[in-house]
Amino acid sequence: MSDVKLAKDPYNVIITGVGGQGNVLVARLLGGMLAKKGFLVAIGETFGASQRGGSVMSHLRISRLAVASPQIPRGRADVIVSLEPAEALRVLALYGNPGTMLLTNSHPIYPVGVIKGELVYPPVAEMEAAITQILPTAYFIDATARALALGNSILVNIVMLGALGRLNVVPFNREDFQEAIALRLATGQLAINLKAFDEGYGMV
Amino acid sequence: MKIFGATKLAETVIQTELCSGCGACIDLCPYFRSYRGKTAYLFPCTREEGRCFAYCPKVEVDPDGLSRFLFAKPYDGHPLGNWRSIHVARAGARVKRQPFQSGGTVSALMYFSLRSGCIRGAILTGRKGLLPVPQLVTRPAGVWRHSLSKYTAAPTLAALNRAIAAGHEALGVVATPCQATAIAQMRMNPLQNRSFRDHTALVIGLFCTWALDFRKFEAFLAERVPLKDIVKIDIPPPPASVLEVYLQEEKREFPLDEIRLLVPDTCGYCLDMTSEFADVSVGVLEGHPELNTLIVRTERGEEIVREAQRQEYIILDDMPVENREHLEWAAGNKKQRGLRRCMETGRLNGEAGTACLRLTGEVTDRILKNGRNGKESPCHT
Amino acid sequence: MSYLIDEGKNASHLLMGNEAIVRGALEAGINVAAGYPGTPSSEIIECFSQVAKERNLYVEWSTNEKVAVEVAAAASFAGLRSLCVMKQNGVNVASDFLLHLASSGTRGGMILVTCDDPGALSSVNEGESRLFAQLLEIPLLEPGDFQEAKDIIPWAFDLSEKIRNIVMVRSVTRLSHASGNVHFGPLPTRVAKAEFRNSGPLLDPETGPMIAMIVGAPEAQHGPQQEKMKRAAEIFETCPFNTYTGPATPELLIITSSACSLYSQEAVSILGLGERVGILKLATTWPLPQRLLKKHLAATPKILFVEEVAPTLEDHVKVVAAESGAEIGVKTFFGKKSGHLPSLGELNPDLVLMALSRIFAVPYEGAPADFSAAVKALAARYAPPRGMTFCPGCPHRASYWSINNALKLDGRGGFVCGDIGCYVMGTMAAGFNTCKTLHAMGSGSGIASGFGKLKQFGVDQPVLSVCGDSTFFHAAMPALANAIHQRSPFTMLLMDNRGTAMTGFQPHPGSPTNVLGEATPALDMEKICRAMGAKVEVSDPFDLEKTRQKLNHLMEYADGAKVLILRRACALSPERRGKKEYEVTVDESRCRGEDCGCNRICTRIFGCPGLIWDGEKKVSRIDEIICVGCGVCADICPAGAILRKEVA
Repeated sequence: MSDVKLAKDPYNVIITGVGGQGNVLVARLLGGMLAKKGFLVAIGETFGASQRGGSVMSHLRISRLAVASPQIPRGRADVIVSLEPAEALRVLALYGNPGTMLLTNSHPIYPVGVIKGELVYPPVAEMEAAITQILPTAYFIDATARALALGNSILVNIVMLGALGRLNVVPFNREDFQEAIALRLATGQLAINLKAFDEGYGMV
Repeated sequence: MKIFGATKLAETVIQTELCSGCGACIDLCPYFRSYRGKTAYLFPCTREEGRCFAYCPKVEVDPDGLSRFLFAKPYDGHPLGNWRSIHVARAGARVKRQPFQSGGTVSALMYFSLRSGCIRGAILTGRKGLLPVPQLVTRPAGVWRHSLSKYTAAPTLAALNRAIAAGHEALGVVATPCQATAIAQMRMNPLQNRSFRDHTALVIGLFCTWALDFRKFEAFLAERVPLKDIVKIDIPPPPASVLEVYLQEEKREFPLDEIRLLVPDTCGYCLDMTSEFADVSVGVLEGHPELNTLIVRTERGEEIVREAQRQEYIILDDMPVENREHLEWAAGNKKQRGLRRCMETGRLNGEAGTACLRLTGEVTDRILKNGRNGKESPCHT
Repeated sequence: MSYLIDEGKNASHLLMGNEAIVRGALEAGINVAAGYPGTPSSEIIECFSQVAKERNLYVEWSTNEKVAVEVAAAASFAGLRSLCVMKQNGVNVASDFLLHLASSGTRGGMILVTCDDPGALSSVNEGESRLFAQLLEIPLLEPGDFQEAKDIIPWAFDLSEKIRNIVMVRSVTRLSHASGNVHFGPLPTRVAKAEFRNSGPLLDPETGPMIAMIVGAPEAQHGPQQEKMKRAAEIFETCPFNTYTGPATPELLIITSSACSLYSQEAVSILGLGERVGILKLATTWPLPQRLLKKHLAATPKILFVEEVAPTLEDHVKVVAAESGAEIGVKTFFGKKSGHLPSLGELNPDLVLMALSRIFAVPYEGAPADFSAAVKALAARYAPPRGMTFCPGCPHRASYWSINNALKLDGRGGFVCGDIGCYVMGTMAAGFNTCKTLHAMGSGSGIASGFGKLKQFGVDQPVLSVCGDSTFFHAAMPALANAIHQRSPFTMLLMDNRGTAMTGFQPHPGSPTNVLGEATPALDMEKICRAMGAKVEVSDPFDLEKTRQKLNHLMEYADGAKVLILRRACALSPERRGKKEYEVTVDESRCRGEDCGCNRICTRIFGCPGLIWDGEKKVSRIDEIICVGCGVCADICPAGAILRKEVA
């Protein structure tokens, strides 16, 4: 068991996004890495509506002491990683507190109401400015652009995971990631995923 | 006149079965479509003003405005509307004998107009089985395939809208009274579109007392004759009072009283028997199934009729006074019945967006005085 | 090799609750597993299939839940250990057989795993299955965390074999779809040998025929069944999964089960009430261990019930308290009946925190109120709500488009009876609000069959039903048979998207492969419907006009029951995923936008996520990342502004 200390116990991480973005994979990769390090991990997932453009969210609880509930109590998220900016804000409103660290992709995925022209999705830059006013640690990065530059928007989740690695609040590193991703993917996809991780790592 | 959007039109005209299925709102947009003689509203459109509403001959019709636009005269409620001359007419020597209804004046005029280049396309109604199918015809000979009466409502104006959208110009249309009203409204460019141009060159209106509901008519016939054997359908002038169905081998007759049950409610609201807003109007001459009554209304109509007569595509005679009086009597009756119906149901004037038509009290009174109670005259589309 | 069959000493893995159940069954030496897909239960059969070869299992996706229980029962009758699995709604389907099975009893250990969905996160209802245990008179176990989800399964098999009856194990979404660390035990090495012994005397539990038949003689089987329940209750008194944490005489006793026990622990810990509140976590929730309960009830004046969804434990424990009032004294109860917790929706730590905060008058705030209020205000402004819709390229959107148009054109007020699958969204704007009834699997067609016979009472508009391919085999075939036989003139729209798409492409009897990927006979739905006597047409839903025409024709002319098969694979199916058929673009110069003549029908009505309304330029455009290139929108556009080019 590693001797990495947690800032809090349990340490609460939320991974959120929109169905189809690979949100669940990030939570499981992260959970797997931490469990391997000897932490007690609980992950709660909502993905019933994931394939139909709905919001998806995984709660990750990391502890040295006890199995925590698969749902984080309101206001108690330590880190929120979001693959989509509006989802970041939605989750922050319920689970955030002034000490929460927010890391979000800045590329929006429009809800069906916005696509239809019934609702407005204001510019993300405005949202970013407003959030940073009240939350000291908030990071907005265009992970989608970086993923597309790598050739596939599906890599956005791995770019975000790399960025989370750089923030150094959840105890895992590139080697842990490499080991975890190797268990899940065919060897052919390994290099591009490592590249995506590294790109994300360099973005914050 | 206040113009509303599609949703209001659907509410006041389609859902209330006031729609005659004329096709004026169809093929302008993806929201309205015709199916088996009826107009359907597929999805809600949220526009507050639409051509659909402005063109519809069943809501917010302003006969006075139309009359001033077409004839530069006010609408006075005369049973035959505004006209320049009335004739007895039939197809002339330049027209070979074809299977057409009555005197063949409509087909002859369209044939002439296409040949002479007065129009470059004609919107006519053919049929597929019993179903009337409007079509664009550009070759003169094509006129003859569309020369028989259909007796059921057809979305003729959908074909007009389609032809205009496809870039056709100088179009002739054979229209029922409600369709002629719609075309007149189209020509006024009610939405004040800057790119609007009038692409109609000749509107031949038909005399019409009613048109049958296609579905009901088909069901009626299907129970009585083999549909696929029907060659022609006719309603001979009085005193016959029957609908004739010509089959391959025989002719069957059905009393008009049975047929009238298949008339949709909307025809009861109609004040126009003679297509008052067409360029020329044509019907059967009372007592002479082989001749037509021809009413010339507009200047452009008059020019075409005069030229067609000169080149012997049609033959004109004077209209006997008693025939004209009878026509006025019949048309006046329809006008009065329709007006009464509108008044009884609150569709004369009334709330914006729900009224069928708007008339002054003076014109209303005149119509009610002119009309006399009596049986309808059997003139049809 | 799957980590599920890791045989390493002291092996430990992060497992989903569903995976933990599978590992538990493997450690118990399971032989046969059957189920019907349904969130949140579907991973269980899939996990079994991944290790079927290595562990010599027979695994199947059955036609429906009732058949799944029957298949598993056969294994039990032959002396094997078997498990059947379904979501809560599936138990309703299986309940007829279950009631009879509980009467005849079982031989080899047999477990019914039901994964309930409190809060209906991915269900059309949150009806819970616990009440069935009472109705069926079978024991019910509820694991409280991930480790227990594994450990309780071998224990349940043992119990089943001890009492010779089926045992029900209930999970919930927050266990099934949550993950935690699980320490593995050893996998057995015994080789299964099955024999169905049936030549012994009737009712002989070892050698007789397995027959549930107690006509006029309830004592013959119902008596022994009730004895089994008494025996189970006795065993439950010392069940190692019933645990108590807290002081000897707590001020308040929380009685809880399942994932709610984790919420309770967390709430007590956050409020620092560990010295004042005890938590009795019950794994054996039917029949209740009476002596254990009495002991804990006697030690406290107040009790709070924390459970999902109905007040089931609450009601049953209150009966125990009433019956033993003289011994334990009068108690104060908190829970759903007192209004401290809701009797609908799923619970969470916050709801328990609020209940405890109220009972103990301790204030609690998750985050500073001004911060939460400020962020909520931002969210209201910057985070527009995310409604559900069909995926880009989904055949159902195209199908409903044509169905809507056909119904509107038909103009006689026809309507659609909905059914269960992704196409439930036919009740919403995503499916143009086309469906007007929605109930259980296959019910749309049954209801439509009924509507079709109401002409004599004045209901004579066209009636349609929708039904997916998996649903067709599951429960709609009897409805179609009924309609054909009764001459009910309805039209079934069989939306064949090539698999049980909503739950992740599980095969069904119409699929060419089974759960193990082996080739199997695929039943031909078109031939089946024809052989049954329906008029059948087939259409590609992406051909909007042809589909519409065929449907109008069927509604207009054909008598009796008709079937229109709308065949097109799901956009997420292996055969379509990641493959663009067309490159789609918008010619902005032709786009009519909001003008009269369009009013944004593509974005406003069709609503494919791949099409976006550009409010500034007032034109529609394609979202390259989202669009999957189905090209259907090109046929929606009235101006020909949406262009599609075949991808070479």
